[in-house]
Amino acid sequence: MEIMRLVVTGPVGAGKSTFIRSVSEITVVDTDRRATDETALLKQKTTVAFDFGRLSFGPEMALHLYGTPGQARFDFMWDILIQKAHAYILLVAAHRPSEFIDARRIRAFMRQRSPVPMMIGLTHMDAPEAWDLENAAIALGYLSTNKRPPIIAVDPTQTASVAQAVITLVQHSMQDCLVERPA
Amino acid sequence: MAVTGYLSEFSLAELFNFLEQGSKTGLLTLCTLSDAQPENHENHYIWFNQGRIVAAANRLDQHGLAYMIGQRGWLGEHTALRVAQTCNVTTPIGLSLKTQGLLTVEQLKMLFYTQVMRQVCTLFTLKDAWFQFDCKAPLPFAEMTGLNAPATEVTLAALRVLKDWSALASKLPEPTSAVMSMIDGKPQQKLNQTEWQLWEFANGTLSLQAIAHQLQLPLAKVQQIAFRLVTAGLVEEVPLVTLMTAPPKPEPLPMEAAATETTTVSHSFLHNLVGFLKGKV
Repeated sequence: MEIMRLVVTGPVGAGKSTFIRSVSEITVVDTDRRATDETALLKQKTTVAFDFGRLSFGPEMALHLYGTPGQARFDFMWDILIQKAHAYILLVAAHRPSEFIDARRIRAFMRQRSPVPMMIGLTHMDAPEAWDLENAAIALGYLSTNKRPPIIAVDPTQTASVAQAVITLVQHSMQDCLVERPA
Repeated sequence: MAVTGYLSEFSLAELFNFLEQGSKTGLLTLCTLSDAQPENHENHYIWFNQGRIVAAANRLDQHGLAYMIGQRGWLGEHTALRVAQTCNVTTPIGLSLKTQGLLTVEQLKMLFYTQVMRQVCTLFTLKDAWFQFDCKAPLPFAEMTGLNAPATEVTLAALRVLKDWSALASKLPEPTSAVMSMIDGKPQQKLNQTEWQLWEFANGTLSLQAIAHQLQLPLAKVQQIAFRLVTAGLVEEVPLVTLMTAPPKPEPLPMEAAATETTTVSHSFLHNLVGFLKGKV
């Protein structure tokens, strides 16, 4: 069985669980619990361990998707999940600049622990107060279009948009070498 | 497209870093909010050229600098404005006045310090304000001394003297985080002693808590210094996972062992995946 493990990460409310739900062939195994801190201002429930989704294609081939919790207090889960990942996507809500700093923290964390290919998906781009792609990229620390990972707009509620995002990440991964992960 | 928001969500320090890193040119407008008297709001204007601050004012009639010159008795306000009108429309008024021998370099520096450094630094004490950056706004040559400063230099100066950090509490790096250098070599900015001391630890391995202990500084102070270095574009915050004692791993079942054996992903796998996903687009 050949399995690719893709981690979906990002700040709270960026759309990670929704992203996985949109493309998984199985009902997503989630670990949502009632939010008790400032997260409750954004939504009622939040991921406290990880989400799991799966996409099977062809004989003995599958894509496993792991959604991390967004809250920093669960960063031990980020560590566990990124160690086994072949690639990851960082989702960022473009209409909440308050979370750009959290996105940068997560990216720094992941980059320090794993060299695997990554990309950035900007969500909520249809919101009136959303920052455009170029300005969001600068705010996230990416100044040069030549030296940055793929950054695209993603609608996590739409299967087609999620599929396109995964295609972008996979094609980007094919340009790099997928690092051999320890068993 | 205008960049807009609230300082309570995207702090002025982050905003200045964004404008400098993006080499932005245009007008930043800050509109302070007052719940008690909504009709009493104040507007502040800061002009940027390629990420550097060139002028600041609380009015848009381009008379602010002339008024300052008049207040100091160096030149009549009307004289300064007449000079501005007769000179090249793309030359800062400060340079025109210097060229004509009406102001000295030292006087221009003092004007720039009052107009930009002092005026803008006080804006860092705002708890909240609505902001908008207009990249199409023209440069206000009648408000410009001809001097400029990198936006993050102003940020460093302002944050060094900031007394009340409550509005920035959620932005401060966590005590359990480390900081990692983002530049090659040493900083070009003029750092003070404690900033240099923290810079020496910017290797991503030691938590701010541990750094505070080593430097014998209060943790809150180290967090504030770290925030200054982050918003100056010198370091980034790297969360460090707290090591926990893990429970012993159970022996994997034979099926699980087989499933995890394949640790690399082949190109044919990726091609098949792309082909499959294209059917969903």
